[in-house]
Amino acid sequence: MSEISLLQSALLLGLYVALAGSYGLLYTIARLQDAIILHRLSLVLYGLHGLTAIAIVAWTPLQIGWKGLIVVSSAAFLAIPPLTWRLLERTHETEVQG
Amino acid sequence: MYRSQQLAVKYLAAAIALFGIMTVAGLMSAYYYINPDFLFGILHFNIAKILHIDTMVIWLLMGFMGAIYWFLPEEFGRELVGIRLAEILFYVFFGAVAVVAVVFIVVQYGNSNETALWFINQGRKYVEAPRWAAIGVVVVMAVFAYNVIGTAYVTRRVTGITAVLMIDLVPLLVLYLDAFPAISNMSADLFWWWWLVHLWVEATWEVLIGCIMAWTLMQLLGTSRRIVELWLYIEVALVLGTGILGLGHHYFWIGAPSYWLTIGGLFSALEPLPLLGMVVHAVYDAGTHHMKTTNRPAFYWLLAEAFGNFLGGGVWGFMITLPQVNLYAHGTQWTVSHGHFAFWGAYACGVLSVIYLVVQKLRGLDYLEGTLWKWSFAALNVGLIGMVGALLVSGFAQAFVERAIGGSTHDAFIAGQTNPWFVEGMITRFIFGLLFAAGYVALVWDLLTIGRRAPVLAAAGAAE
Repeated sequence: MSEISLLQSALLLGLYVALAGSYGLLYTIARLQDAIILHRLSLVLYGLHGLTAIAIVAWTPLQIGWKGLIVVSSAAFLAIPPLTWRLLERTHETEVQG
Repeated sequence: MYRSQQLAVKYLAAAIALFGIMTVAGLMSAYYYINPDFLFGILHFNIAKILHIDTMVIWLLMGFMGAIYWFLPEEFGRELVGIRLAEILFYVFFGAVAVVAVVFIVVQYGNSNETALWFINQGRKYVEAPRWAAIGVVVVMAVFAYNVIGTAYVTRRVTGITAVLMIDLVPLLVLYLDAFPAISNMSADLFWWWWLVHLWVEATWEVLIGCIMAWTLMQLLGTSRRIVELWLYIEVALVLGTGILGLGHHYFWIGAPSYWLTIGGLFSALEPLPLLGMVVHAVYDAGTHHMKTTNRPAFYWLLAEAFGNFLGGGVWGFMITLPQVNLYAHGTQWTVSHGHFAFWGAYACGVLSVIYLVVQKLRGLDYLEGTLWKWSFAALNVGLIGMVGALLVSGFAQAFVERAIGGSTHDAFIAGQTNPWFVEGMITRFIFGLLFAAGYVALVWDLLTIGRRAPVLAAAGAAE
């Protein structure tokens, strides 16, 4: 790995997780406020996260296995906020009914 | 108030005092990078660094113990078993910490013999305390476990949270036995030493703070026990599932077999996933309560914990966790940046949240609000983020100049240390360290005085 690609790879990896977090944060706020615009913005952020994943796969000198992990993790990052939200709602609804 | 809650107040006060010593020692450690002649021949960098890190471990541990001693009697509905012994051991524990600190500062180091190991310094990073003090920590933790498990046994009442806590106390105690060095092979020694350092921090401590946050959520937001316990199980399972084998990222370059590159990289890379779930959970809780609570400082510190954990552990950790990047980044200020952010987010913010909760109960306030806590919150968090940002820049310079270009030779090390980006990063870190220290002073003043403004604040809270 060259010195430039070291910094590029690390920064892309950090950005990759930061964008996933931003997507999750905005997704949750959008659901709380029932705001379509925020929901769309969250999808834009996830799109940027996806682009970062593509950049990591295409340009960094990481081994193929790690690139595969990046792709799979992106799918997980997409699913975690709605799944967590659904589970939270279900547990709280059950509580109210109980 | 239960006696164990009085003991909790002592532990939390001691934790805040040690937080201050950690801050001062951290400022000193930061200043050595700017002026290497500082206190030359009197107190070297290594001693300041030991004080900084060891007090960090102890203040957080005391914070956890204080929080648990506070919540447990309400959980069990009675005084804890063996509380007298716990009260005595608090003074023994605090006295031992003071003696060890004095020995570190005054004696500093000894010869390479058993006497030095027993009475001066064990020489192992983060657990430098001499052997007698390490045995003392084991005794304190054993009594702590007895308080918890013994009370559960007597009351025949085990809730989900206390069950998780009791299970966690076993590895917490057993893993600390790794603090006693006996292995002369450095690779083997580091292999087991990481069990203590990593598995305490990224496994047993995660569970401890999970239990503490569950109780905090119940008291702060009135969340039901069923919900917090369900989420405690889920989050603890996910954190442990990724965190335990995430241990492997410490085995990359210590002479351990090469399969650890795959295991460590894989499980470490999975660690941000549960952290994202925690962020969603925290925002959901905050949103459903419309950011309203009877204790705003505790609430904001709770939120800071979720975000800090994600940023420090997730984002900062992910930058350096894959082996190809870690080859260049490990042992630089880059990892120091990650360590500062992750510890702050995962643990320190949570302990501060509990302390504000306890202050509210202690002073009998229905509503806790003010101005000073906001200044303290801002200064501590901005100071911390400034420090980790500056350390990150310095770490980039080290990884780039010393490792990637220079190939880790001695000359490359000097080139890295004198690189303008590195030097300016160190200066910036010190400046933000001063801001952090100012935030600490404001925090202490706020904790001491917030009760005096109680009537006004209660009225303000009622009016809202």
